[in-house]
Amino acid sequence: MTTFLETNKRYLTTAAYILVALLLLLWLVPIIGGQRPARLIQSTVTGLLVGGVYALIALGIVIINKASGVFNFAHGWMMLFGGLVFYSFFSAAGVSLLAAGALALLTVIMALTMAGWRSLLQPRTALIGVAAFIVLTVLMALPGREWQYMRAIIGAITGGVLVGLAIERFTIRPLIGQPLFAMVLMTLAIAELLNGVTQLVWGSVEIPLQVFAWVGQLGLPQPIRYDARDTLGGIIIIRTELLFAFLLALLAFVAFVLFFRYTNVGLAMRGVAEDQRLAQALGMRVRVILAVAWAIAALLATTAGVLQGGATSLSLNMPLLALLAFPAVLLGGLESITGALVGGLIIGLVQEWANLLFPGTQAGTELAPYLVLMVVLIVRPDGLFGQKRIERI
Amino acid sequence: MRKLSFILILVALLVAILPTTAQEATPEAAMGLPDFIQHTACEVDLTGETIPIYHLGDLSGSYAFITQPLLAGLADAIAYYNAHGGVCGAQLVSNEGEHYRDTGGARDQAQAAYDAFSSLDDKPDLLVLYASPDAELLRSQVAEDEIPVLISAGSVPGLYGEDAATPGWIYASNPLYADQLGAFCNYVSENPDRFPANPTIGYISWPGAFGEAAYTPETISYCASKGVTIVDTPEYFLPTATDITTNVQNLLDAGANILYTNSLASGPVIVAKTVVDLGVEDEVVLAGVNWALDTSVGLLSRTALGSDGLPAVNGIIGSLPFRWWSERDQPGIALINEQADANQRRPQDRNIAYLLGWGIVDTYAEIYAQTVNRVGSLDAVTGADIKETIDSMDYSPLGLYHFNYQGGATRALPDNRIAMMAFLNATGDGPATSGDDAMTVDLPDGTKAFIPILIPLTDFAPAPDLRPGGADVPAS
Repeated sequence: MTTFLETNKRYLTTAAYILVALLLLLWLVPIIGGQRPARLIQSTVTGLLVGGVYALIALGIVIINKASGVFNFAHGWMMLFGGLVFYSFFSAAGVSLLAAGALALLTVIMALTMAGWRSLLQPRTALIGVAAFIVLTVLMALPGREWQYMRAIIGAITGGVLVGLAIERFTIRPLIGQPLFAMVLMTLAIAELLNGVTQLVWGSVEIPLQVFAWVGQLGLPQPIRYDARDTLGGIIIIRTELLFAFLLALLAFVAFVLFFRYTNVGLAMRGVAEDQRLAQALGMRVRVILAVAWAIAALLATTAGVLQGGATSLSLNMPLLALLAFPAVLLGGLESITGALVGGLIIGLVQEWANLLFPGTQAGTELAPYLVLMVVLIVRPDGLFGQKRIERI
Repeated sequence: MRKLSFILILVALLVAILPTTAQEATPEAAMGLPDFIQHTACEVDLTGETIPIYHLGDLSGSYAFITQPLLAGLADAIAYYNAHGGVCGAQLVSNEGEHYRDTGGARDQAQAAYDAFSSLDDKPDLLVLYASPDAELLRSQVAEDEIPVLISAGSVPGLYGEDAATPGWIYASNPLYADQLGAFCNYVSENPDRFPANPTIGYISWPGAFGEAAYTPETISYCASKGVTIVDTPEYFLPTATDITTNVQNLLDAGANILYTNSLASGPVIVAKTVVDLGVEDEVVLAGVNWALDTSVGLLSRTALGSDGLPAVNGIIGSLPFRWWSERDQPGIALINEQADANQRRPQDRNIAYLLGWGIVDTYAEIYAQTVNRVGSLDAVTGADIKETIDSMDYSPLGLYHFNYQGGATRALPDNRIAMMAFLNATGDGPATSGDDAMTVDLPDGTKAFIPILIPLTDFAPAPDLRPGGADVPAS
């Protein structure tokens, strides 16, 4: 008997999985069948759109992990910080030339010195720096409401990049070559630091960010509402701001797939993630690659922060949203861009479907995403799209 | 930023001048408090001594919208009372780190903060908490340490224990959340013309001790006895939720035509926004706990407008168990308005919690005056002495609410009234009927701020006692 079990362990495990899946289906099908089509469609639409936000957040976490192997616990706070920087430029009637110049100068210096301070001494680099400084300063200081979007977007990008580069330069770079755990702990410290800074600068209260006001001004429906009471038994709505977040997540996904597959920096990032010391020995500029990764992640965080802030508001709760993206990251695979997208969408869908099928149980918020994550990790410990790693001990 | 500050101050002034019944602030005595503040006469001079106001709670998490203005209210009130003679000569103090701590809403942080305070050589005689989860966490500990606690509102387990029959050391100034829902059901029952036929409440809230506090078997049976059904599948969403369409549709499918929320700040806003997005705002009435009527809700809702152009929370009905900013014929409210103006408090600070901050300070003054008179000196005061005072006290702090725990029999003040949130009209003399009719303030980001007002719909009356085994719980 024991021999039989040992010999056929793989088949038996697969059979057990199939049996569980069948039982689950037998249980769920009647519940699903009892729902009106409009409700099923609505929950699917909502799940995908909310999942798009999770995917965007997950993407930022994966970028850092892909480049450095670090799980960034500060990502949620980077989201809030970026959103608040956007808000500052967006809500003010104008920004002083001095403030814009200071932000631009810091960012340009940090960007140009990714490989070391000596870069500044190269005439070509210095010239690029001066040009970038002037352009950024002018764009961020454009006065008047008609420039508020331009001002806010450039300001948020500049602020986001500065935060990403500063984090890498002053906290992560000194730890290159040290155990990864040290870097992970450092991200926790960064989270606390950003928590303090945001409260110090912007306070603790929620801030409405009406970044989607233009949708209504253009005459676009907000939300898109489809009255299908006669045909599907209900109303279906699509919230415009979430649709934008979703489309942006898709766009970011395509861009990063291409980036990692076809650009030198992208390929180098993958190499650095494999082994920082080896990559350095092979002549890769590990510092620059890490800095670029953190800048990209900060930009993604800023984007997610602005979109989420526009969909709800900018509040100190926002970083908690990143916690909901963690299952998405693990589900998809820690270093997989595709995994981040698919994981985000699955988590969003599971939440909404659980809310729909089990009303009054909190299954959607508290249970279902983690249950799915657990099951997937049991079946595929590296996530749906994660790389299989074999540790030789 | 200057322009933004100017506009915010302008909004603040508009909020302050809302009522047509405004009157001049009560003239103050040169040194003492105004005449309408009738504290017990001091028999012991406490000049040179200090009375610390210890408090702990979530100053940076989900509750920050409420708790930050509480800090502002406490600070302004402490400064005012100290400038007017303090408490029998003693100065009130509350310094960050030393006397109050931010827990960020984390249970472990709340425990750590409490441990720090309770282990002091001179441990607090009295403590202020902000939230139901902290009250539930610390209930047995404060009883053991004999530290009475003041809190704005609480859950049954926090105030009366798991058996709902053991009054502890925590005293709430608002009716229990369950009692507030019961009071709302009374209002629905007595005003059927304002609500859909067969009124059915869908309970939708944040998860946790606060959000779930009003959904109890007692409220369900009480409301049923009043002809109001509560759907038996409550819906809960996280404060971070981006879209709660599915939750709201679940309740509508279950027959709900009233949505009641025990959340605050963005919580009621997202519920209202979803109702508008679904196009059912004419079919569904919004209602909520006292915090759902807060200024913060009205200000946040400018991002979610209804089909009438007014913020989606326009018309939300809920509890208002204290005097409100607009009731300036009340000298206490007039004083608070005057001080908020003097301290240039922003519109978002002029909320429930700022009022409660003043109420707490005035309550402290009365409690200590009575207790010191009884025990002879400030040094001799213990938590047990303070509790004895609270149990027997009959006092109205600045006229905001009536402080009377019926000889120690109860732990939550029962008086309540029902009110509705509206937005000021363009002429400043009543509620707006549409966005075009509303008074708005242009903000630098190109959007408009609406000015929330609260309209009391009933007079003060005791809320039903809906603790398990409470006097008003229908016999099953």
